[in-house]
Amino acid sequence: MPQVNSVYRHREFGAPLTTLADYERAGGYLGLKDALALTPDDALYAFHRSGLRGRGGAGFPMGRKASFLPKDTGRPTYIVCNADESEPGTFKDREIIERNPFQLIEGLTIAAHAVECERAYIYIRGEYEAQAKVLDAALAEARGAGRLGPDALGEGRPFDITLYRGAGAYICGEETALLESLEGKRGQPRLKPPFPAVAGLYGCPTLINNVETLAALPPIMHRGPDWYGSMGPEKSPGTKIFSVSGHVLRPGNYEVVLGETTLRELIFTMAGGLRPGRHVKAVWPGGSSVPVIGEGSLDVPLDYESLNGVGTFLGSGGCIVMDDSECIVRACHRLAQFYRHESCGKCTPCREGTGWLARILGRMVAGEGRGAEDIRMLESLFGRISGRTLCALADGAVMPVQSALELFPEEFAHVAEHGSPAPAPMMGEPVG
Amino acid sequence: MTAHEIEEYLAPMRHEFADPRSLILPALKFAQGESGWLPAEDMAAVAEATGFSQAYVESVATFYDRLYIEPVGRRVINVCVTLSCMLRGSDEIFDHLTDYLGLDGEGTTEDGMFTLAKVQCIGACDRAPCLQIDSGEQIGPLEPADATCLVDDLREQPAPARYER
Repeated sequence: MPQVNSVYRHREFGAPLTTLADYERAGGYLGLKDALALTPDDALYAFHRSGLRGRGGAGFPMGRKASFLPKDTGRPTYIVCNADESEPGTFKDREIIERNPFQLIEGLTIAAHAVECERAYIYIRGEYEAQAKVLDAALAEARGAGRLGPDALGEGRPFDITLYRGAGAYICGEETALLESLEGKRGQPRLKPPFPAVAGLYGCPTLINNVETLAALPPIMHRGPDWYGSMGPEKSPGTKIFSVSGHVLRPGNYEVVLGETTLRELIFTMAGGLRPGRHVKAVWPGGSSVPVIGEGSLDVPLDYESLNGVGTFLGSGGCIVMDDSECIVRACHRLAQFYRHESCGKCTPCREGTGWLARILGRMVAGEGRGAEDIRMLESLFGRISGRTLCALADGAVMPVQSALELFPEEFAHVAEHGSPAPAPMMGEPVG
Repeated sequence: MTAHEIEEYLAPMRHEFADPRSLILPALKFAQGESGWLPAEDMAAVAEATGFSQAYVESVATFYDRLYIEPVGRRVINVCVTLSCMLRGSDEIFDHLTDYLGLDGEGTTEDGMFTLAKVQCIGACDRAPCLQIDSGEQIGPLEPADATCLVDDLREQPAPARYER
């Protein structure tokens, strides 16, 4: 059950690394030095060889994504860092930005060398203004020290980073919606293809990666891709940060080697377990948009393939834990309200379907359900929403509800007839 | 807020964007900083400063939760009510605040001091139940009494020099 602080270098160091001097003292910028000793193609090959997969949610191999960018197009190549961390239950990138911002900046610089890019954008959610200020200061310091600017990549090769603030919209974490927002439009997803690698920001080749993915690059370059690839399973090596929240005694972020920790260990050993006498009822292991799993799946190792094996996804690593004190339908209703609020309205099945989900679950919770008719209506809705939209928000709205209905059919049937019991939230517990 | 003030704010960053349309969101956020929301005159000023129509600027502004097209209180209290916070008592925090502020659910107090809002996940589930004053640091874990202390403290404070929503 090894905890390895590779992305969370500040934890290894024992203090926040918010000044360049501290970051360099903790081994910062050695990865960039090693990357710059390689040709861009060889640096790109190192990403590929490491086996690093995108940490934002989709888990697409990072090196392969970067290799899709066409070269010599005569147009600029851009990198966009997705710091719009908005998936419910996910707060891992917040800690990177707050306590280890230079590792993100270094990671972006390494990626810029590999894909020969002169300007990157960090798109940060509007609700992270406090965190954006930390990044502002770090970017200014990096610029002052020549780590960004006209000679950032050596031999007169310039590179700089623009911090761009969002203004409150979950959908802007979807990569094409993010690009729309960054281009000064409403943040609504684009039809794919073309993929951003070919036609991304301003129609130019664009590499989009999550904060955690980019912050993984400096240790990969310094300690070598084979070191990284040797940790964990062959198909999903390396470390991953899990944000654990809900009914646990020690909510927080935990960086673990993939495949070497079980969900049970994450919840009970790292996150402090539950209140005495309580049992795990439901877990959304990868943010709220993944299928929910029950107590019977707790021994699953935390890696992409193993979680798929129990019918869910690793997703963003936002692990929401619910014990047996809460009603599953009330939890589903709360999530349905989230997706209804955040649906951008572009695709009809999502715009209308998320509303229907929220309404039906809402009347069930309130004791105004229509019994078996509501259950049948829910079941008929899933397939009319999922897979019929431009982006994955609609699928994310359906999966937690559909899986919960499969896992807890009796409770749904009961609530559809009688409503949810009064809420009894966990309050006033010490937080470790 | 005048178009000229917005232009001056945007001038140093113009070169960072290949399309001036990208300046609209920073301009809207900057304009909102003055009065805490975006009256039509500010939309017009942003339109003039960026070179796009007011209708277009408004179409962008209306997409985002944290751009306010109607007046809000001096401080906006954003209570997260998404799942992780709900499990830790966010609804109790919210209900306690509505009572304390004399509101009937979400809304603005009569004295214009506070707007109370339910918001979706603010990325601080380790601090659940949590809230955020404007776009300040996420605060939590809270008990109902903490939330009302916070309100009392805010009441004592002067209006911010610039609103960061």
